[in-house]
Amino acid sequence: MSEHGGELAVEQVSHRYVVGGRTTPVLDNVSFTIPAAQVACVVGPSGCGKSTLLSLAAGLFAPSSGTLAWDGAPVRLGRTQHLGMAFQQPGLFPWLTVRQNVAIGLRTRGKGRVEARRIAEEFLATVGLGEFQDAYPAHLSGGMAQRVGIARALALRPRLLLLDEPFAAVDAFTRLKLQHELLALLKRYRPTVMFVTHDVAEAIAVGDMIVVMSDRPASVSRIIPVGREDKNRASAAFARKLAETLECLGVGSDSAVE
Amino acid sequence: MSWQALRHRVLLPLAGVLIVLAAWQATLLAYDLPVVVLPPPWLVAVTLVKLLGTAAFWRDVAVSVYEFAVGYVLGGVLGVAIGMLIGEWRGFRLAATPVVESLRFVVPFAWIPLTILWFGTSFTGKVVLVAYAVFFVMVVSTSRAIATVDPTLSRVGVALGMNRWRLAWAVHLRAAAPTLASAARAAAAIGWIAVVAAEYIGASAGLGLMITNAASSLATAVVIAGMVVIGLVGAGVSALIGWLARARLDYR
Repeated sequence: MSEHGGELAVEQVSHRYVVGGRTTPVLDNVSFTIPAAQVACVVGPSGCGKSTLLSLAAGLFAPSSGTLAWDGAPVRLGRTQHLGMAFQQPGLFPWLTVRQNVAIGLRTRGKGRVEARRIAEEFLATVGLGEFQDAYPAHLSGGMAQRVGIARALALRPRLLLLDEPFAAVDAFTRLKLQHELLALLKRYRPTVMFVTHDVAEAIAVGDMIVVMSDRPASVSRIIPVGREDKNRASAAFARKLAETLECLGVGSDSAVE
Repeated sequence: MSWQALRHRVLLPLAGVLIVLAAWQATLLAYDLPVVVLPPPWLVAVTLVKLLGTAAFWRDVAVSVYEFAVGYVLGGVLGVAIGMLIGEWRGFRLAATPVVESLRFVVPFAWIPLTILWFGTSFTGKVVLVAYAVFFVMVVSTSRAIATVDPTLSRVGVALGMNRWRLAWAVHLRAAAPTLASAARAAAAIGWIAVVAAEYIGASAGLGLMITNAASSLATAVVIAGMVVIGLVGAGVSALIGWLARARLDYR
């Protein structure tokens, strides 16, 4: 592996959308690097372009200017072999069982039917859904569906994991539980992660670094490193990190970041 | 069967039929209509039972159903295929939209004179007419269903590594299936009406021809019995498609 192996570098990326002849700049000269096997949480105001940044990192479309590099080489459109993604809406295919939902990505990437089934069962057991393999998504709770979405992304054994507010649609208790489960999985599989979230506390709990974005057109306001000692929610270090990040976002620590 | 099931599946539907029959009989009594204008329900029932015992009747039913089935499958498959191309491929959509949007308002019956001119009163003409009727229902429903697929499902498919055609086949078409199932039932009704209408005007066999022949000899009971059969076969086809759709979409 090269010296940039497993590293995602965002270099002077700007992006604008043109809709109906009107140009809307979304990202403005965004630069940061996520080292291999690190988790970068991207926080910022609603509509500032966090999800756009994620889509650019996935190679779903190209930036208006600047480059994104994975493994030291420019991100290429449509190349997703190294990727796993999970979204705010888990996006489970309702006509497939839970197991088939996890296996379909593996099948798409060339695994045989038996192998895909075995891996899917293994990952569903890992996220505690071994008993629900034959259920359809309509029969799952929001938290369970989100677990399937994460199992589907991780079952691909991605080297780069892109998470777009995966816990935003679940209740607070389930959210905390899923955060703990995700941390355990990330520790086990060690992908490089870009995690977009609105929740600063979540960013501190999950991330190794927090990329704070400004209002649209968004640039990077600050990159805040997060140490192991900051992650204990009951600690003063956590409170300080929370206050520091919120201040960066231009809100008081007693205000909600939405 | 529970009381509720009995009420929902048998008693209420039966009540609907009985109300129609009562209104029919009441009209007869009120206006003192001759049998040739409007025969009583019992006479139609007796005529229908007699028809059921004749080989000619079953041949007419078989011909109509066969013409319908071939046209329905042909129009359905083509409609879904073209609808998918319209939904998935912008260039194709831009080229096809003016043709589809104008032709779909030309009702199948307007084509009957031309199909007779081109194909005579043959099987092919009926099949083309049914396929035409079904095609436009399916093409419009498919293209709209594809256009309204949940974008998250598309993003997931792309993120999982699906190429454009696999995404179309494995995600978009499957996501559109519930809409297509409803459209398939609507298309069946229009297709069935088209085949019978075509037989009214020109055919060598079929339920439409049977009714036309009966009308020309003032056998009104046969005409109405034939209409009842058309309705029952249509309802049966619709129920069969509904049952198949439910079996395939049981994940909901």
